[in-house]
Amino acid sequence: MSQLLEVRQLSKAYHKAEGMFRSKKIQALTDISFALDSGQTLAVVGETGSGKSTLAKVLVGIEHPEQGEILFGGTPLNCRDYRKTNHLIRYIFQDAARSLSPNQKISDILHAVLRYSTVLNEEQRNEKIADTLKLLGLLNEHGNYYPHMFSGGQLQRVALARALILDPKVLILDEALTALDPSLRAQIVNLLLDLQQKTGLSYILITNQLRLVRHFADQTMVLHQGRCLDYGPTLDVFNQPTHDYSRKLMKSIQF
Amino acid sequence: MQLLDIRNLTLELETPEGIIRAVDRVNLSLKEGEIRGLVGESGSGKSLIAKAIMGVLHERWRISADRFSWCGEDLMRLPYNKQRQIISRDIAMIYQEPSRSMDPTANIGEQLTESIPTHLLDGPWWQRAYARKKRAIALLHKVGIRDHLAVWNSYPYQLSEGVCQKISIAMAIAKNPKLLIADEPTTALESTTQAQLFRLLASFNQLKGTSILLISHELETVARNTDSLSVLYCGQLVEAGDTETLLKEPLHPYTNALIKSVPEFQPELAFKQQLYALHGSIPTLQHLPIGCRLGPRCPNARKECVKTPLPERVQNHHFSCHFPLSKV
Repeated sequence: MSQLLEVRQLSKAYHKAEGMFRSKKIQALTDISFALDSGQTLAVVGETGSGKSTLAKVLVGIEHPEQGEILFGGTPLNCRDYRKTNHLIRYIFQDAARSLSPNQKISDILHAVLRYSTVLNEEQRNEKIADTLKLLGLLNEHGNYYPHMFSGGQLQRVALARALILDPKVLILDEALTALDPSLRAQIVNLLLDLQQKTGLSYILITNQLRLVRHFADQTMVLHQGRCLDYGPTLDVFNQPTHDYSRKLMKSIQF
Repeated sequence: MQLLDIRNLTLELETPEGIIRAVDRVNLSLKEGEIRGLVGESGSGKSLIAKAIMGVLHERWRISADRFSWCGEDLMRLPYNKQRQIISRDIAMIYQEPSRSMDPTANIGEQLTESIPTHLLDGPWWQRAYARKKRAIALLHKVGIRDHLAVWNSYPYQLSEGVCQKISIAMAIAKNPKLLIADEPTTALESTTQAQLFRLLASFNQLKGTSILLISHELETVARNTDSLSVLYCGQLVEAGDTETLLKEPLHPYTNALIKSVPEFQPELAFKQQLYALHGSIPTLQHLPIGCRLGPRCPNARKECVKTPLPERVQNHHFSCHFPLSKV
């Protein structure tokens, strides 16, 4: 069986202008390969500047990879073809409050997503929105609310609704759980686990919270300066890290 | 000796919709050389309490307390100038988001030398500037910045969050405070730098006997590094006691929920199993429930919970709940 998402030898560099003619090359990602099955979770850990967010941005198509390919269900994914691919892999930002437009109602935000990527008419769209809100434990009336009327945990649910409304196969959580309070975090984690069991959704979890990774992720990848140091099943990576850096990282949660 | 002793601290804010009581009769005490954790979710008033201790709250806040004593002196009854003198001599605070709480227009060297009080410098006055600089460099070394030359002329925006955090610690310990308040020191940091920071704080505690008030919303990091713990929920003190007993036998349902929601404290929790979570979300300050503020979310709330529970204590373990989980 072919994997749901397969990434081969992905590389990405940023070019930063220095003076008028010269430019400096910053290698953000070097030869990243991994595979993800449906219903599985991959955790990406590493310090800031290790290329975690770049990886996420390349996968959703915000940035274009320089080398390498992304296979989705066996077929290569062309990031330039955004309209066709954006419903397969969805992205959730770190701060839900700042990633939702403050002067649009929730239903308008969700309608816009559907108008852009689907051919549904208004009635079907309304139905879809109602279904998605219900799935995430929100009420239909919440569609008429503005983002500032929600609390932190509910906002994260709205952000999830915006991502899930297109029935994606892979969801990328870029530090989406970091800023939440512990009791809300437990709620969202439960929701994510529940969704994964029900719909076979895959997650790519980008985070600093190793304790959560150990509970949540099937596979773990340690990134350092754009290189993949350790990659494998979570327990193996936690118990027998092969590189010095990952050993230091794993030690830091035990102090 | 009791360093800080606060009884029934209440912070109120007057708004057009009425008076909001953001912190409701909180007790807090700190012994000399103690590390106390203050845990609570956002909006629970942890930072407000810290600011009230520092005396830097906005003047719109109404502060009242039955007792607010520092080393046996009641700060509330002292004249303002005297208050400022004592606080600036003895208490230092590491603010949230270090890079934003520093002066963006001055370089690190300037800011750091400014924070060293003159009475700590020895030698005649013409050697002060030199002594000051020497001391500032020593402080940088102490917090783990080896390359002081690179940092000295930089501005806060040029440095990483971890380095800024270290510098703000250096500024805080410059005056050898008796109490160090660390407000969410780890939110912006990676786990390796976090470990470093806690080692640093622990070494100050042991070498100089500095008391530390560690404020955070993450129970797991606080639990590891503190002797005693106070748990806040929506401005009410829910439970306080020794960290170990509190984690082993929580009496309040909220503390219990906090502990259970952290996978680390639940060794028998299976992989990908659902975590324990209270339903609902934290109420906003405008719509606080009456009585016990956890009431609407509490799994074992009953009719009596509309009355505010009085603080009770079992040995050193304080809690305020009508129906504690296990009466010792």
